[in-house]
Amino acid sequence: MITEEFEPTTDTVEEEASVEACTKCTACNTVCPVARSTDIFRGPKALGPDMERFRSPQEAAVTPGLDLCSGCKLCEVTCPSQVSIQEYIRRAQNQGAREKGRSLRDWVLGRTRLLGKLGSMTAPLANFGNSNPLFRVLMERFVGIHRRRPLPKYQWLTFERWFRRHPRPVKPRRKVAYFYGCWVNYNDRRLGERAVAVLERNGIEVVVPRQQCCGIPAVVNSNMDLARRYGQENVRHLTPIVEEMDIVASSTSCGLMLKHDYGHLLEIPGSERLGAKTYDIMEYLWMLHEAGELDLNFETVPMRLLYHAPCHLKSHGIGYPAMRLLKLIPGVKLEEVDEGCCGISGTFGVKVEKYDLSMKIGSRLFAAVKAAGSDQVLADCETCRMQVEHGTGATSAHPLEILARAYGHG
Amino acid sequence: MPDTSTGVVVIGGGSTGAGVLRDLALRGIDAILVEKGDLASGTTGRSHGLLHSGGRYCVNDEQAAIECVEEGRILRRIARSTVEDTGGYFVSVTEEDQAWEPRFAEGCRRTGITCERISVDEARRREPALSKHVRTVFWVPEDGHLDPFYLVVGNVESARRRGARVMTHTEVSGFLREGDRLTGVRIRDSKTREEGTIACQSVINATGAWAGLVARLFGVEVKVVPVKGTMVVLSRRLAHAAINRCHKPGDGDIVVPGLSVSILGTTSAKVPHPETLPIEWDEVRRMIEEGAMMLDGVTTARAMRAYAGVRPLYDLGAEAEGREMSRNFAVIDHQERDGIKGFTSIVGGKVTTFRLMAERVVDVAARYLGVSTPCTTAEVPLNDRDEPLDQLRHRPSVLGVPKPHDEEPPLQPLLCECELVRPQDVAPWFKDPAVHDLEDVRRRTRSGMGPCQAAICSYRLAARLVTDRGVDGPTATRAMADFLETRWRGVRHVFWGSQLRNMQVTTGLHMELYNVDRQLMLDPVAGTSPPPLAGEGRGGGLAQEPAEVAAQR
Ligand SMILES: Cc1cc2nc3c(=O)[nH]c(=O)nc-3n(C[C@H](O)[C@H](O)[C@H](O)COP(=O)(O)OP(=O)(O)OC[C@H]3O[C@@H](n4cnc5c(N)ncnc54)[C@H](O)[C@@H]3O)c2cc1C
Repeated sequence: MITEEFEPTTDTVEEEASVEACTKCTACNTVCPVARSTDIFRGPKALGPDMERFRSPQEAAVTPGLDLCSGCKLCEVTCPSQVSIQEYIRRAQNQGAREKGRSLRDWVLGRTRLLGKLGSMTAPLANFGNSNPLFRVLMERFVGIHRRRPLPKYQWLTFERWFRRHPRPVKPRRKVAYFYGCWVNYNDRRLGERAVAVLERNGIEVVVPRQQCCGIPAVVNSNMDLARRYGQENVRHLTPIVEEMDIVASSTSCGLMLKHDYGHLLEIPGSERLGAKTYDIMEYLWMLHEAGELDLNFETVPMRLLYHAPCHLKSHGIGYPAMRLLKLIPGVKLEEVDEGCCGISGTFGVKVEKYDLSMKIGSRLFAAVKAAGSDQVLADCETCRMQVEHGTGATSAHPLEILARAYGHG
Repeated sequence: MPDTSTGVVVIGGGSTGAGVLRDLALRGIDAILVEKGDLASGTTGRSHGLLHSGGRYCVNDEQAAIECVEEGRILRRIARSTVEDTGGYFVSVTEEDQAWEPRFAEGCRRTGITCERISVDEARRREPALSKHVRTVFWVPEDGHLDPFYLVVGNVESARRRGARVMTHTEVSGFLREGDRLTGVRIRDSKTREEGTIACQSVINATGAWAGLVARLFGVEVKVVPVKGTMVVLSRRLAHAAINRCHKPGDGDIVVPGLSVSILGTTSAKVPHPETLPIEWDEVRRMIEEGAMMLDGVTTARAMRAYAGVRPLYDLGAEAEGREMSRNFAVIDHQERDGIKGFTSIVGGKVTTFRLMAERVVDVAARYLGVSTPCTTAEVPLNDRDEPLDQLRHRPSVLGVPKPHDEEPPLQPLLCECELVRPQDVAPWFKDPAVHDLEDVRRRTRSGMGPCQAAICSYRLAARLVTDRGVDGPTATRAMADFLETRWRGVRHVFWGSQLRNMQVTTGLHMELYNVDRQLMLDPVAGTSPPPLAGEGRGGGLAQEPAEVAAQR
């Protein structure tokens, strides 16, 4: 295990944080990408701690605009008093949905794994439907998914099945468990393949434990009970494993769920140990580098790259390990865009009533990307990559893919 | 100050005076209410806010308990918008408490108070914050929260709609008399000290703890003992019902849910003057300790401020001749007792029983005026003309029903973010001549009463002074500073934890970012003085000692 040898970089936030700690300083509102883009959203301060005073177990206090919170968590990252702003908003959304009922769409969007299973089983058909204009009009009409929003492609061969046939490396130095998430499994197996390749190149055996959807799609679609069920399942499967090895995730949001939200938001008993042993894959590789164990025999990658830091990565509180790592690669010219949230926030920007807002939130980023004229935009989060491509026409990649390339993988 | 005339002058704008004014108006009697501070700025605005079911008095004071039962039911009918039906619990924590239980249950039965013993588990299911010390629980559905500010303003507005007048920030400083007949009062503007008179046929002294001081102006004696009580405000509702200790009424044994906050109280100590209200650290500590016996989270919740009020306890011993209407309040007919025709006093009582008190005293005054119209305050609702008095209740829903996003109008900004006060809640009060300063706006809207204690709303309200009232910048800045100052008086008693940090943000905002202190030095406004303590409402704290008290030392 790598953990014992490093300073733990996991959550060191005080447990004390509560609604009482809010000093109304308004820092959260100033960073909120939604509040900045629309005047029908009251902002995290109002919908979080302010409104929390009026909420009770008896009254949900579902306030207008509550569903406009995209869940980016920048408010929590910024709060100097460590108030759990997001948690208050999430709980209220959840309670509101419990009382009012959920739309079919939100019911479906909360179940990424189910969607992935169906999508990959019927891959050609699903992909045809998802890109067929007529079908999309119907989908918008009857399901509420915006017709212009490109949907992810599904792949017939899932990562799970690919990995089963993947030969084990001989004589590994370490072992690590990979939390690949629904995205890699159903939509982007190649990212998973590269993750495995990069880890193995560094003498690490990759183990793929049984896993469920991390639960974040359920959380953001106001279904915390479902998210908690998923989370409990993951805790059950993964807890025995963390006694032997660390866990890495290549999706920032999945990683954040495991690290932080199982314990804080979903209050799943026994999740602390799992959280403390979970790393973002780039964070893990950087730690490896600090331990002097990262293979630095990189090929030159002559590319001008832009890096967009996903909001949920900021929530990890680990800085930008991807930037640090990629700067080790000869030839790479890397710059950060630093124009805030891309606007998609998982399933948020997919919804018909939020599509325009999502594009507006991302507009500053889009403009900057277009102006930069780089070869590719990097982002650790899959939906950020989708949104940047959609908003700018640029190509995008996970930073890991550049690393893989430097190791000679495609 | 122009001289004027009316039928009855009511002195005192607390719950009693407001109730009296409305009662007079409903009987068609022309009246003016004169209040030296603002409405509800005396004891009423500093009360605990419990609408007593009567449970607290059912053992020691049956008469008072019965009055509470009856008045509670009437208020729920006529003043819906000021009452929140929280219900209440009487909880036993110690063995002594448990020993009190049979007497309590018997008292409830005798006085007709609805009361039901429930299991501690059931109680904790309803109120998860109930402490582990709790042994036995009685459910008293008719305890409630009575918003003292809305109650007073609602009564006064109801009376105003029927032609009654009010003069706030106006003090009664003397009286006019022809032989044994009272012919009017002298009045003085509390701020400018300008004087005037109101000619009238009758005067009702409803000044509560001040009743003795006012009676002295008329040359008669009314013995009122001012007894101070201190309360601590926590920033949120820990329990949704009122929590009472089931024992002989004592210190710190009630926690009242006051809309968005919890109010712990109260202590009890004789003071030399109704305006001597120092708050001791020991009292604050005791309230928190006692509250924690009944509810979890009391010690960790944010204490926002402490305030004190003074009970107008009527000394019955000395008033054996007095017209004793009940053990708790007394109507004193000074014509009968002291030979001053047209002068009546009403003292004692509770906010809960204000209507009954008003009815009794107006019965006496009406007889003197030869008016035989009966009292109708128990039947006519306060809000009979659809005035949106309850605009601040259930506020999340006030913010509007969610609509599809494309139809959603841009959100209106809030003025006070903590208490969700919108511009339209505040606007009418800037037009009301009875409203003088931002404290007066606070009492009518709750602006500034939340956890930030006016850090944010003070400058927005000050800006409205300029736009809606046409005052100049320096005056508005001064008003803002005064407003923050009165908040500060209550906050400084609970200066720790998040409240301390919050006040540092406030200081940073106003002193460093806005440079308010420097602005005040650059633009001194002529004739302004620090706001009087009486104008402070839920403030509390040590004011300048009145000269007469200082002289006694
Ligand atoms: C600590 C505490 C807690 C309490 N809790 C509760 C409770 O939970 N429930 C309940 O029902 N009751 C409660 N009470 C009792 C209740 O608050 C009082 O009995 C009630 O408010 C008295 O109202 P009032 O109108 O008679 O007096 P006040 O509200 O004091 O009104 C008298 C007014 O007269 C004005 N005045 C004085 N002199 C002059 C003058 N010369 N000219 C013009 N105006 C003048 C004063 O400024 C004042 O505003 C509590 C009392 C205290 C002290």
